[in-house]
Parts: sequence; C-alpha cells; structure tokens
Amino acid sequence: MIQNLPWLFLLLPLLAAVIDWVVFRKCSKCAAALSILSVAATFALCVAYLCGLQTGTPGIYTWMPVAAAQLSLHMGLVLDPLAMRMMLVVTGIGLLVHIFSIGYMKGDPSNLSRYFAGLSIFMFSMTCIVLADNLAMTFIGWEMVGFSSYLLIGHWFDKASAADAAKKAFITNRVGDFGFLIGILLTLGVFGSLNFADMGAKAAGIAPAILTATVLFLFCGAVGKSAQFPLHVWLPDAMEGPTPVSALIHAATMVAAGVYMLVRLQVAMGEAAFTGTACNVIATVGAITAVLAALMAVQQDDIKRVLAYSTLSQLGYMVMAVGLLAGEAAMFHLYTHAWFKALLFLGAGAIIICCHHEQDIWKMGGLAKRMPLTVLCFLMGTCALIAVPGFSGFFSKEAILDAALEQNPVFFWVGAGVAALTTFYMARLCLVAFCGSARAHGAEHAKEACPTMLLPLLVLAVMAIISGYGFAADSLVPFEGFHAHGFALGLPFYAGMGALALGLLLAFALYGCGKRSKDPLSGNAVSDALRNRFYIDALYDKVIIGGLQEIVAHIIEFIDAAVIRGLLMQGSAWLTARIGLLLSYIQGGSLRAYAFVCGFGLLILIFLLAFNL
Amino acid sequence: MEDQISTLCSATYSWCQFCPAFALVVLAGLLLLADAFLPKLPKRSFALLGALGSLAAAVSMLSGDHPNTFGFLACISTALTLLLAFDYKKICCESIAGKDNEEGTGEFYALPLVACAGIICLTQARDLIMLFVSLEVITLTSYVLAGYFRRNRGSIEAGIKYLILGAMSTGLLVFGAAWYFGMTGSFALNSSVVLHALNGGEVGSAAIAAGFLMAVALLFAGAFFKIGAAPMHIWIPDVYQGAPTPTTTFLAVASKTAGFAVLVMLVMPFLPFMQPGVQIAQMLVITFSIVAAATLLIGNLGAICQSNAKRLLGYSSIGQAGFILVFFMNPNSALGFLVSQYLLAYTLATVAAFFAIALVRTQRGSEEISAFRGLGKSNPRLAFLITVCFASLAGVPLTFGFIAKMYTFIALVDAIPTWGHLSWLLPVMIVSAAAGFYYYFKVIRAMYWEQQQPGDKALCVPVCTAAVLTVSAIALIVLGTLPLVLAL
Repeated sequence: MIQNLPWLFLLLPLLAAVIDWVVFRKCSKCAAALSILSVAATFALCVAYLCGLQTGTPGIYTWMPVAAAQLSLHMGLVLDPLAMRMMLVVTGIGLLVHIFSIGYMKGDPSNLSRYFAGLSIFMFSMTCIVLADNLAMTFIGWEMVGFSSYLLIGHWFDKASAADAAKKAFITNRVGDFGFLIGILLTLGVFGSLNFADMGAKAAGIAPAILTATVLFLFCGAVGKSAQFPLHVWLPDAMEGPTPVSALIHAATMVAAGVYMLVRLQVAMGEAAFTGTACNVIATVGAITAVLAALMAVQQDDIKRVLAYSTLSQLGYMVMAVGLLAGEAAMFHLYTHAWFKALLFLGAGAIIICCHHEQDIWKMGGLAKRMPLTVLCFLMGTCALIAVPGFSGFFSKEAILDAALEQNPVFFWVGAGVAALTTFYMARLCLVAFCGSARAHGAEHAKEACPTMLLPLLVLAVMAIISGYGFAADSLVPFEGFHAHGFALGLPFYAGMGALALGLLLAFALYGCGKRSKDPLSGNAVSDALRNRFYIDALYDKVIIGGLQEIVAHIIEFIDAAVIRGLLMQGSAWLTARIGLLLSYIQGGSLRAYAFVCGFGLLILIFLLAFNL
Repeated sequence: MEDQISTLCSATYSWCQFCPAFALVVLAGLLLLADAFLPKLPKRSFALLGALGSLAAAVSMLSGDHPNTFGFLACISTALTLLLAFDYKKICCESIAGKDNEEGTGEFYALPLVACAGIICLTQARDLIMLFVSLEVITLTSYVLAGYFRRNRGSIEAGIKYLILGAMSTGLLVFGAAWYFGMTGSFALNSSVVLHALNGGEVGSAAIAAGFLMAVALLFAGAFFKIGAAPMHIWIPDVYQGAPTPTTTFLAVASKTAGFAVLVMLVMPFLPFMQPGVQIAQMLVITFSIVAAATLLIGNLGAICQSNAKRLLGYSSIGQAGFILVFFMNPNSALGFLVSQYLLAYTLATVAAFFAIALVRTQRGSEEISAFRGLGKSNPRLAFLITVCFASLAGVPLTFGFIAKMYTFIALVDAIPTWGHLSWLLPVMIVSAAAGFYYYFKVIRAMYWEQQQPGDKALCVPVCTAAVLTVSAIALIVLGTLPLVLAL
C-alpha cells in the first residue's frame, strides 16, 4: 500500500480537476480552494520524498494488457532525482501560481471554476510527463498538457485573439507531436521497448543512422513543445492567456518539458546514443532559436511579449546545451530559469493588473515609485535573467557557456552574443516601464499589488537569488548527482561580463532614464522586421496556409470529390442502400419468408459442419 | 429410474446451487398472489421489489469460489429491465387496460423474474436436459412479455412472430438434442462424450461422427436464434421494434446473455480439440467465421438506413453479437470471461439507450431517432449521458465499449497465426465498426445538431432513469479508462 503513495502525485490533481469541473461548477471559491489544496498536498509529498521518505518502488499498472507483452501499455513511475526534483519545481511554482491566481483573477467575469479545473488538469498532465517511466506515458502527458494549454490560453474564449492563439498553439504542437509519435514508434521498433530503464542496454548494438533518425524524430516533439525554431510561432501568441498561466505553463514548466524529455532520453539511452549529427542538429536549432528570439525581443512593446521572446531565447540555450551533451547544464538552467522567469511573469502580471490591464511598456513609466516592492521583485528576476554575478541565472548561464566553449566555440560566441541582447532588451524594458514619469492614465494610478500576489513574488524573488548557489542547487537541481558549478575566472566569465556591460551601456545610452516617450530605434526597416518577427509568421500565413495549403487543398478536394465522395461515399452509400434494400426485402415482415431464411440458414450450417468430414 | 437418469446425464446437481433461482421464483409467485389478492397495492411497486430481488440474486452470483458471470449479468439485466418498466408505467397502463388503469399490469412486472430464474438455472446446466428446460422457461416467459401490450398492434405482431419463430428454434434444439443422444447415448456436455462420438462411438463408424456433428449444428442453430446471429437473426428487428420497450430490453440483454451462455457451454467440450491440424477444429472455426462475418455485415449495414431507434438497436444488437462471435475464432479457457466482459459493456450501454428511448417515447410520443432532436440544448446533462452510452456502443476510446471491441480485434489477430485463413475477417470487422460509428452517431447528431421544434419541452427525467443513466455512463467511462478493474 505505502509503496503506491507516489500515485497520489497523479491522482490528487486529477480528482481536483474532476471535482472542480463537475461539482464546483458554480462555486469558484470552493474550486480554487480545492485546486490549491491538491497542489499543496503534492508539493508537501514531494518535499517529503526529497527529505528522504522511502516507500519502495511504486507498483506498475498494466493499462492495456496485450498478449505480446512488449506492446502492452504500462503505467509506471520513476522517482529518481531527475524526476523528483523536477516535480519540486513543477509543484512549487504551481503552488505559487495558484495562490497568485486568486489575486489576479479576482473580479474576472469568466468562470473561475473552469480556470482552476484547467490548472489542475495541467498539473496532472505535467506530473504524468515528469514521472513517466516509459515514452507511451510521456506521450499521453504530452498530449494532455497540449490540451490543458489549449483550454487555458483560450480561457477568455470570447476574445477572438485568445481563441485563435489557443488554436494556433494546439495545431503548431500537433506538427511537432506527429514527429514525436513517429519517434516513439521508431523507438519501439528499434529498442523493442518504450521503457526508459530498458533503453540503455540496447542502445549499443544499433546502427548510428537509425539512432540519429530516432533521436531526431523524438526531438521533433521537443521542437513543438519547447517552441524551438521553426515551430516557435505559437509561444508569443500564447500570451493571450491569463498571465499566471503564462508564468506556469509558458515559461516555467510545460515549455521546459521538451528539454526535460531530451535529458531523460540522454540519461536513459546513454550519451553515446546521441550521435554527432543528431547533436549538431539539436544544438543548431537551439542556437538559432536563441538568437532569433533575442533579436525579436529587442523591439517588442508588450511587456508579456518581451518576456515570451526571452523565454524562447532561454529555451534555445537549454536545447543548445542538450545538443552539446551538457544535460547537466541544461537542467541547471531549466531549474534557475523556472524560478526567475515565473517571477518575471508574475511580476508582469501584477504590474498589468495594477495599471488597469495595460500591457504596453510605453504607456507605463515611473512605476518604481508607485509599486516599489513589485518592481524590486521584478528587478531581482531581471538580474537573474541577465546573469548579474551572484544571482542564480549567472551560475547556470556560466555552466552552459563553459560547456559550449569545451565542445564547440561557435556556440560559445553565439551564447555570449545572445547574453548581450538579453541584457539590452531587459534593461530597455525596465528603464522604460519603471523610470521617468507615467505616460498614461493607468500607470498614474498604479498601486502596490495585493498580498496574495505579493507573497508569491517575494518567495520567487528569494529563489531567483539563492537557487544558483551550491547549498540550494546541489540538492534541488533536477539531475542525478548534480554539483554546482565552481566559479572560476576565465573566458566564459569575461565574455559574460562583457556582454552584460555592453548590453547595459547600450540600453542606458538609448533609453536614458526613461524620459523618452518613443523608441528611438523604431521607424526603420530593421525595427519593422524585428517587430514583425522577421515575417516568419506572415511567411507561414502566406506560403503554408495561403499557398501550400491552397495547393494541397485542391489536391485533397479532388481526392475528396472523386475518391471519397464519388467512390467511397456514393459508392458505399449505393452499395449499402442496395444491401439495405436486399435486407429489407428479406426483412419484409412476412413470417413465412422468415421461417424460410432460418431453414435455409440451418441447411448451410449443417452443410458447413457435418458434410465436410 | 433415478439412477438411470443420472447416468444418462452423467451430471449431478446440488439443490443449493439453484437457491437464488428458487428465491426469484418464490418472489415472482408472491408478487402474482399479491396482484390477485391485494388489488389496492400499486402494481408499479412490484417492479421495484422485483428489481431489488434480482439485485440481491446478482450479488449472490458473485459470491463463492466460482463467480457465475453470466448469471450475474442476467440478474443485473433483469433488475434494470424492471426499473425501466417502473418508469414506463404510463405507456404500460395505456397499452394494457387503458388510460391510468393499472389493472392487469402486475404480471408484466413479475414475469421477468421467472425468466431470470431460468437463466440462472441455465448457467448451471451441464447437460442438454437441464439446458433445454431452463431455456424454455426463458422463452415461454418472453413470448408472454413480447405480446403483453394487447392494445398495441405492434406488440401483438411481435408476440406472434416471436412465438412462431421461437417455437421453430425450440424444435431445432430438441431435434438436435435427440440426435445428440442418439449418437452418443448421453445428454452430458463434456469432452469425453465429444471424443467418443468423434471417434465413431461404440461401433467406430464415420456416420456416427457425422450425425453427431449434425446434432451440434442443430444445437448451435438454437443458440444462434437466442443471440441473433445470422441466419437466425431474422426475427430481431421486427420483434425488437414491436415489443414493449422493457421486453425489448430484456430480450436484448438478458436473453442474449442466456444465448451466449448456451453457446459457450456448447463450445467448451470442443476446447481440447481446438488445435491446428484437427479437422473438427478447422470446421468449427470456418463455421464461426462465416456466421460472424454474416452477422457483422447484416447487423451493421442493416442498421445504417434505420430511422426507428428501437429497430436501430435491434440491428445494433445483431452487430454486437457478431463482434462477440469473433471470440469463438480463438476459443480458450478465458472465453467465458471475454464474452461476459463484452456483454457487460454491451448491457450497460444498451440498457441505458433503451432507458433514453423509453423516456423520449413517454414524453414525446415517438420512438424515431428524430424525436431526440435538440436534447443537447434542452437537457444538456441527459444528452451527455446518452452520448456516452452511444459512444461506448460505437467503441469510442476511453469508453468500456472500446476496450471490449479492442479485445475482439486482439482475439482475431491472435487467432490468425493458428488458423491462417482468417485475415479476411479483419476488413469485415473494420467496416462494421466504421458503420457503427455512423449509425450510433445518428442519435448523437439528432441531439446536438438538430433544432428543437416549437412545442418541444425539456424532458423531465424520472429518478430511476436518471440513476441508471448516470451509473451506466460513469461505469462505462471508469471501466474504459481503467480496464483491469474487472480482472482484479
């Protein structure tokens, strides 16, 4: 019994979601309380496990038993440090976001029971990914987080942009998931098992080309979920959802699932399974994403979008680290990033609420005076993100730069360049929004955030500072036998400092102390390109949706008209109608005919059985 | 004399294994007495008492070392039928003694108990005499129940048709039993008797074996009639459509369970011979594959163009029987379990569907599929529950129906390496399952996509209907997501 305790990680949020959905439909307070209770309980359980609670291996549940045993679907849990510490990040940030949501969603006219049910179902799905002991279960969680993300992005579904963004996120993810599914099937074929525990032993005897293909198809899943180039387009639009959702799902946890899955595979298959080609592709995709996203962030005016692009760029870092076979550094950065990015998003959420739903940084200004505590927390997060020495982000970014320098200097310089850009756009954001004087009515009347919002911010601010140090990192970074990076003077340090200084200098030179009311960089072709995300979205709209899809649509239309509608539909309709007519001819209601059919059938039966001997 | 009979049957029974059956018969008798001598008592309460009684019997079926799954299913089906009859009172009164007059409806509530007792005895049978007698108990009761609504032409027609065709099938069964006895000298159903007969009996003649197989064919024909397998399915659409809805429910679930119990009982003695290379095994598999394919196609293609919901479920019950027959391609010791698992999925969903039909019939006066129009708007919860049940019948993943159907496919795929030439059945099954999606979703489409008409009111859902629909839908989803609950 006791060894099955870990199943509570999955059951509690699922139950909370179902009860919220069915019972507490009308009572949003009960729904909120229940969701918070469930996430708090899972958090407590997680802490208990990390403090050394031992319950033995949890039972494996065979979900769909099939005679050929390797095809059966099993449900099992892994409780190694990689999984349990990741659970701590998920439940810890989850708990804070739940609490923050009460303050953030207060007075919102939408159905809050639906909102909290969505959060709970997300917690369930994310747990399913983190604790899965096989790829099939990962995939189930993978699709479920996609679904819950769809629900939560589209929470304000009466707003057209939110509904569209939800659809875009879901469909873009489907593209990646298709590759992921192929990868899973390839894994089953190549390794003969989907279980992580069985993979390591079999990886050695497999041809490198097949391994490369398998890993790259599995990587497709990460490209979709972790919003890597070229499937990055959904993440900025996902900011249409409520800000706490952006913090939890689109910054700290779900988008990091791709990185987590890759590291899990790297550990399970062994680093040798990640062949040179596969690694190069992964690292390159990560580097491209990091650079492109950082450039796009430079010219965004919406506070959440700046953060969204920054998330993309940081995810690029992590994926690059995975490609450089530095899973340890990737998970370190994932872990510090989760805390400080959640802090930044929740801080942005508090600012947005206090400025009366204003998201444009050019309509803020002077907020440092009006909501000092919130701004201070936000600045802590910024310092961690731009890797100011002493903050958590500094340590993890150093770890990635170190690994890059060791493996491939090109990626090192890319990383350093992105660091400079990061500093620049975050400094721009802070200078414009917090300094100077208010540029719009909303910002003038901004007041300090309410306690339910402030409390999570303070906790996260503390984590943003301390989580990089050895005492917190060694026992919390989701990686087996992790040791915090020893701080050393060297090229990575100097490059990082140079990037920091360069970014700050440029930002101060251009934006001064927030006295400007217009971006001095705007109004030229480069700025327009950055603002419009290098026209990638437009390209997709034109070429894929407008052009390619048009052609494909014509082909499909032809197939539809000729084959499906003509042959299959009308043909089968004709056929079934004929059969139906025949049947109704027999089934005409005449008793004598019925008896005749029975007798005739009996003769056939006797012939089949007795006359073949 | 007694000795003689027991050697003929070579099976002994103990009184106590029939206790639940006796209890049900006694309950039915008491209810009939109350019907005659306590005219003040509301007849409707008989249905509730009967349902309680059969639920108790269902519990007793599961206790003990060897749970009697078919008996359990039959008792549950009977209880649900009686609950349906309870909610169907308005139409019962209208069709028997006229508006709001309960006179003469008492037997309608008591008779299913007798039939249920018959099924319990049937599942205990180990020889043909017991099998025949208990099967007749069920059938005779069903004749009465099918024609019970004497003010309803459809019911009378259904009663007559069922009586005549049923009598024919009984004749086949008796004829088969006689041949069986003639070829083997025994009524017992076990492998040694089968082996003896296949080896040509005492005289060692091939004619004995052929005659024995003819007997088996006749017995199969009797069982096929009960389960509605082609070509003995012919009575189903008319009788299901015409008979009173509670009776149709009983025929569709309890009577079908009895039929499959018989079929399993008849096939089990052949189990030791079911190996590749044995000729009798090949012939059995070929026969079953042809019957299953015909049943699947007739049931599922026939259902496509139906507009009457009861007739649709009639064809659906043929189609579902076709799927169950696939298990007989690969008979093994788990046959009984697999068949009853499928039957449970089928029973839960079908009974719920009949509850929905009865509800719509009572309040909208029609049994057409179009009468379900607009329920998604006016009764969203009811519509959701009905959707779950029909989705399970169609086999949508995460419902129990999907798991059940998946096991039929697994059984066939497992059978192909042994019997080789069964692959052709796979496309037949796929076409049938696809057709199922089409015609089951006609009801769902009517609920959500068809506009309400002026004058359509929201349905008022009686307690029993609400309870049964809710419990069935929850059970279908829970068993669909956690399939192993059953095996534990």
